[in-house]
Amino acid sequence: MESAPLGASIERLREELGALDRAYSPGHHGLWSARRRAELLDGIMAEMFGAAEPPPGVGLAAVGGYGRHQQLPRSDIDLLIVHDGRSPQEVAALAERLLYPLWDGGFEIGHAVRTPIECEQVARGHLDALTSMLDLRPVAGDLVIAGEAADRVRAVATDDVAAFARALREDALVRAERFGVSAHLLEPDLKNGAGGLRDVQAVRWTTAVAGDALLRTAERARTDAAEEFLTRVRSALQFETGTHGDRLPLELQPPIARAMGFSDEPRLIAEDGLMRAVFEHARAVRWIAENVLARAAEGASMPTGAPEPFPGPDEALEVLATVAESGDRPDARLLDSLEVTPLADTIAWTDRTRGAFMRILRAGEPGVAALDALDRLGVMGRLLPAWIDVRCRPQRDPYHRFTVDTHLTRALAEMSRLIDVGDEDPLPTGALAQGPDRDGLVLGALLHDIGKIGEGGHVPAGARIATETLEHMGVPRPARDLAAFMVAEHLLIPDTATRRDLTDENLILDVAARIGSPDRLGALTLLAKADAIATGPSAWTPWRQTLVRELVSRVQRVFDRGHMGTELAQQLTARIDAVRDLLDAEPDDAVERFVLRMPRGYFLSIDPERIAAHYPTIAPDVGSTDVRATSRPGMKANTYELLVVAADQPGLLSWIAGAVALAGLSILSAQAFTTDDGVAADVFEVEGVFEDEIDDARWREFRGVLRKAVEGRLSLEHLVAQKRSRYPGTRSNAPITVVVDNEVSDYSTVIEVGAPDRIGLLYDITSALAELTLDVHLAKVATYTDRVIDSFYVRDALGRKVTDARQVDEIGSVVRGRLSG
Amino acid sequence: MKLVTAIVKPHRVDEVKEALRDLGVDGLTTTDVEGFGRQRGHTEVYRGAEYQVDFVPKVKLEVLVPDGEVQGVVDAIVKAARTGKIGDGKLWVTEAEQVIRIRTGEMGPDAV
Repeated sequence: MESAPLGASIERLREELGALDRAYSPGHHGLWSARRRAELLDGIMAEMFGAAEPPPGVGLAAVGGYGRHQQLPRSDIDLLIVHDGRSPQEVAALAERLLYPLWDGGFEIGHAVRTPIECEQVARGHLDALTSMLDLRPVAGDLVIAGEAADRVRAVATDDVAAFARALREDALVRAERFGVSAHLLEPDLKNGAGGLRDVQAVRWTTAVAGDALLRTAERARTDAAEEFLTRVRSALQFETGTHGDRLPLELQPPIARAMGFSDEPRLIAEDGLMRAVFEHARAVRWIAENVLARAAEGASMPTGAPEPFPGPDEALEVLATVAESGDRPDARLLDSLEVTPLADTIAWTDRTRGAFMRILRAGEPGVAALDALDRLGVMGRLLPAWIDVRCRPQRDPYHRFTVDTHLTRALAEMSRLIDVGDEDPLPTGALAQGPDRDGLVLGALLHDIGKIGEGGHVPAGARIATETLEHMGVPRPARDLAAFMVAEHLLIPDTATRRDLTDENLILDVAARIGSPDRLGALTLLAKADAIATGPSAWTPWRQTLVRELVSRVQRVFDRGHMGTELAQQLTARIDAVRDLLDAEPDDAVERFVLRMPRGYFLSIDPERIAAHYPTIAPDVGSTDVRATSRPGMKANTYELLVVAADQPGLLSWIAGAVALAGLSILSAQAFTTDDGVAADVFEVEGVFEDEIDDARWREFRGVLRKAVEGRLSLEHLVAQKRSRYPGTRSNAPITVVVDNEVSDYSTVIEVGAPDRIGLLYDITSALAELTLDVHLAKVATYTDRVIDSFYVRDALGRKVTDARQVDEIGSVVRGRLSG
Repeated sequence: MKLVTAIVKPHRVDEVKEALRDLGVDGLTTTDVEGFGRQRGHTEVYRGAEYQVDFVPKVKLEVLVPDGEVQGVVDAIVKAARTGKIGDGKLWVTEAEQVIRIRTGEMGPDAV
């Protein structure tokens, strides 16, 4: 089938296109190269069409990108054979003679064979066929019949310009839905995405049928620049992949950026520079296309006369705020006025400026549309200089789908929605009810990632920049403090929830201390949701929600119970700092480990000097059979402080209590602490039962008994009973009370025991608890003349609270039984 | 070849990853999952609103291991994932009939 001359043409076409490919570096094939490519094709196509001996009344036309002289390196070549319908068989044979050599030569050809009337019919039925043929350009053969086809197709669009524009607008919406928005998606579709080249063409088609007046001069210049740039990127992408794909994937952004001449700059790597430029152009295109199509679809006349500038930024912002509050988007007239309003490079904020700006921030999605408009006109950077660094900045991580600035405005929109509309989930609603300052909330959402400026560690950078920005805006105290706090701590909730052990009481108390108050917890909770929703579809899964909710609930209960608050948090920090100072001579990492492990209650209830004295006993690793006991004179005369450290196990406290009783010591008070890694540190205040001074021999005796008890080498039960029988019993009539409470703590069941004092009382209670296989996590023992009030924070063998009603009853009866005996 | 699958607490994942890296294992798949075992769901109360948590959030880890290295990997995961509290999770080992590296077509241990 292939004839020799056609084969030679194909060969020459390949050579010429190859030479064109090599004439520029791959990053520099713009519109000029695309035009040159189309011209090369024209020449060869005319030659081949002639050699294929077309019958009379048949013409060859270029359509689509080829038709408008925009033939990209690896795009399909779109051909249309137009014929008069007199000899369809001959035309079919001609098509084969022309197309087969091209296919065989490896060219991707889009083709159709139609009469002018068929062209018109197809154009009426299919928008993509209509737009492709709007770019119809006769190339060879019967130019008249090809021209007739072009006229008929054009008439389809010009017949009802408004309907054509509406169809284009509809198509743009469908494309935006399917391909996303090129203006902020990190892997944009350069052709079909919103703001992509298809939108540029939509503008071109619309102005071609409705007149150039639809496009303002500034818009035309922006569109031309965007078309050139996006064409270069798309051509570079085609060179890189060797095919006609249009999505710009992350892994190809570095080579394409280099090919286009982008290089790493301080705080902006080459590929981010490329993507920033893509986003900027796509934003302009998206905006212009929307406006031009709206003008054509609604038949709106272009505003006549020069737009009137606003007196200043305050008036402009106030008008924008009013438009946003009524749920509308700013119209072109308003934006024209804003565009001609003279503005300082850095706008000085007044109360009016801030008032209007805050109204925009509080207006939800329409407010974000106002911010978008401010951004496009370069006003955002004049208002908030920090905005310039995050504008159009890509984020390279697996979760984020949007640029930093789009992520920020989306988070703002979600925050605004949570505040005004509420949520089906009670978590954000409850968080809002904690009363965080609402201006602070929207500012915190808008600024939370303002530190993503290409330097490592966006949180500290963000905290610094946000503080400067809020100051620059003149935001008053409560809102400013809350917003700055939200920026500095916006990762606390999500990171802690997904990466830390939420059953660790210390962790929860530390989080509560760092947050300080319920309204700030509420603010961080709302931001956690707004931030996640604004990140992408995979950031707010039920999995994450469950963990975030668990953390927030636990921290909230710490506040509700008064276990932590601003004052306690300050006290805790001060005490821990004091301990650090006292332990200055010890290795830093060992001290930090000690601080991290020990329960917060330990630091709050034991003074720093005593803690420093405990350190040498507690800090070294504790083996499973280690028992360390140290004693020193107590706070009051003739009292002693006894510290026992050992690996925690059920029964430990009872053995210590038993050994204390057998050594002839009386317990005035006791506090038992357990670290999360299972070390018990029990602190007793004791005095001698009969003599005031307790000598070394007595302490040795105590340690000997304790060691034997831990090793199971003596029966404390028996010995304590024996000891008790030798002395007079209690004379007190104080009642025995046992209360089991599950409300006080999230982690432990609290057992409160009141009883008359007697020898070995603590031993009796704690050995009863050991018998119930309950582990004492925390204990507070206080003796009042002849009555003792003890609380025990206990967990079962698996580390859980005791919630089963039968077990709770059992605790009461076993403990009571032991004390009545 | 064996497939080692483990369900662990979310906050142990980094430790497990470290432990496996120390063993020279350099491929691991993780998935956020929810379920229950002996640690049943619970009711979470937040400011009076009750949430029934029927399924507890966990992370599923999957590692392909040559037969000879299975025990080392299993021990490392169990040690790194254990907190001693309820809900530490499960681990099981299954036979992987075929393992292929998609890019190169390499098979068996070479594909890991």
